[in-house]
Amino acid sequence: MKKFLTPLILGTALALPAFGAASAADDTLTIGVATAQTGSLAPFDGPVIEGFKIAVDEINEAGGIDGKIKIETIDKDVRSDAAQTSIATQELVDAGVDVLVLPCDADPAFAAASISGAAQIPAFSTCASSPTLPVMGGDYMFANFPGDNVQATVSAKWAFDQGHRSAYLLYSPDTQYTTLPLYFGDVFEALGGKILGKATYKLDQQDFSAEVTKIKALDPQPDVIMTSAYEPNFPAFIKQLRAAGVRSQVIGSDGIDSPTTFSLGEAAEGVVFSTAGHPTAGSPLEKFNKLYEEKMGKKSETVFNAIGYDLVKVIAAAVKEAGTTDSVALRDAIANLENVQGATSLITYKGTMGMPVREVSLVRVKDGKRELVGQPSPDADLIPAPRMQ
Amino acid sequence: MELFLQQTVNAVALGGTYALLALGLAIVFSVMGMINFAHGELMTISGYTLMYCGIAGVPFVISVPLAILAAILAAVLMERIAFRPVRNASGATMLVTSFAVATILQILFQNLIATRSKPVALPEGLAQSVAFGDFLIGVNKLAAIGATIVMLIFLNWFLKRTSVGIAMRAAAEDFPVARLMGVRANAVIAGAFALSGLLAGVASVLWVSQRASVDPLMGFVPVLKAFIASILGGLGSLTGAVAGGFLLGFIEIYSTAFLPESLQEFKEPIGLAVVVLVLLWRPNGLIPSANFGTEKV
Repeated sequence: MKKFLTPLILGTALALPAFGAASAADDTLTIGVATAQTGSLAPFDGPVIEGFKIAVDEINEAGGIDGKIKIETIDKDVRSDAAQTSIATQELVDAGVDVLVLPCDADPAFAAASISGAAQIPAFSTCASSPTLPVMGGDYMFANFPGDNVQATVSAKWAFDQGHRSAYLLYSPDTQYTTLPLYFGDVFEALGGKILGKATYKLDQQDFSAEVTKIKALDPQPDVIMTSAYEPNFPAFIKQLRAAGVRSQVIGSDGIDSPTTFSLGEAAEGVVFSTAGHPTAGSPLEKFNKLYEEKMGKKSETVFNAIGYDLVKVIAAAVKEAGTTDSVALRDAIANLENVQGATSLITYKGTMGMPVREVSLVRVKDGKRELVGQPSPDADLIPAPRMQ
Repeated sequence: MELFLQQTVNAVALGGTYALLALGLAIVFSVMGMINFAHGELMTISGYTLMYCGIAGVPFVISVPLAILAAILAAVLMERIAFRPVRNASGATMLVTSFAVATILQILFQNLIATRSKPVALPEGLAQSVAFGDFLIGVNKLAAIGATIVMLIFLNWFLKRTSVGIAMRAAAEDFPVARLMGVRANAVIAGAFALSGLLAGVASVLWVSQRASVDPLMGFVPVLKAFIASILGGLGSLTGAVAGGFLLGFIEIYSTAFLPESLQEFKEPIGLAVVVLVLLWRPNGLIPSANFGTEKV
């Protein structure tokens, strides 16, 4: 009996403080931020968290959410590593956080989803755009970015409307996000376009000469080359592609919304990519960029700053709606959010599986700067279903 | 046929860069019996030098030698600070030390420079190409091939004609006997590190001019490739390292170029399987060093 009792008492004693923390007073919302501040995802999570902090400070300075609930954050660096993400998530869950923020890529977010789901704590990936994320991640997993399939629908439709009829896809099976060109291919074919070929690459690959030579040898040349490659793959690819004399329209996606893309000079001129927003005159994004410059003393160079700001707005709206910081109530409130005004767009979770409905902007690189091509609403019938791997 | 030739040029250019990287590892290994996994960080240091030169508006023709110089200095310092104290320790100790140096440098880059990748300003000319009849070769590729040839000729001259070079070869063959002949261990090892720094610097300029950005962790992939190439060629053998580098380049390019589309996803495992086959056929590498496993300092 004694043998049985000791662990029981010990277990209860250990569990008690955890309970105490989880039901923290209702005047603070604790957000556990387990993001990649170093490593391959840092180019995205770094800027997101800058915008995130700006929004948290703004809300706290105004007295908290609804004038009463202050936001506290616990930050952890997960080094772009899936295993480290699940460790950090477990620590944050043990610390009793109300909401979790996970890295930008779907894969480390998956690693954490089972932990956050089991603890019934809603979790957001900062900027993962794979539509499979909330489907596979469960009820407590939410995304904070226009889905890959939606982005691909917008860019494929644009390409088709421009009169482009043939495309070549460069993708990598290494992550969910880098398979975005396959969605593009589906939509482009559904519209009546033709896919001339596909090539794959590795995430750490830098030499694209073999792929480029294959594209160069195509006759006729593809009208469009679509890729969701990002740094360091994309700069290497586009430079080698243009050096080989291939002049096809290159279409990318949000991963290349970074200062490097705009510093590539001649090679990146004319590239069109889909992203989460564009600071048109008078838009909330323009206002946010001003705020960012004021707070940070530098210009916002990527839309990912605003994405972080949006995330806090969504969480705050859910807390306001739920009237509590209880995790389960928060999840339901998030799932029913409609038209939350973020810095980049109106954001709706209602009626989705956790992949928000948000505006997609098409941006062209022109003279090393961004130029808005359009902000079309995608045709719902064209959007391909999430591709399970 | 033309496609084949073009892909072969690609393979030579990539293989040349790998050869330079593998040579850097092999030179240090030949005299010290240590694989320096911090070799990639020498490249990162060069890369950051290029970046800062670009920001400061230094012309590219000056920033390139500066970047190479930075790698040489860093390599010599690395030897003096980290590797000299453990020179007589076991191979495992030296290996772990090199990993430690690599990690410490990566963290320093992350904390002192940036966690994110930074763009590097490059002259437009590098992104252009030269036509030879129907044949288009990127300036970048030509530079890689040219730099490899120049470096191989220079190394050959240095190791065969200069007294430091001859001393290094003697030390690689039998260090204790070389010391008995009056060769100074410190000079030879520092020389080997300086040479590896030079090779890392040149390779880094080629590598960075391809990717157009530097980040704190960028050294990992090249050192991994160099490691595979030097194992493939035969550890400690300089000719082997060159052969291994080129073979690896050819395997990578040809597998991308000529595997059918359905097998493309598996090109990496297929390429590595070829490496395994080569090693099954020649377990000590293509051109093994005659004195592999001999006593080092």
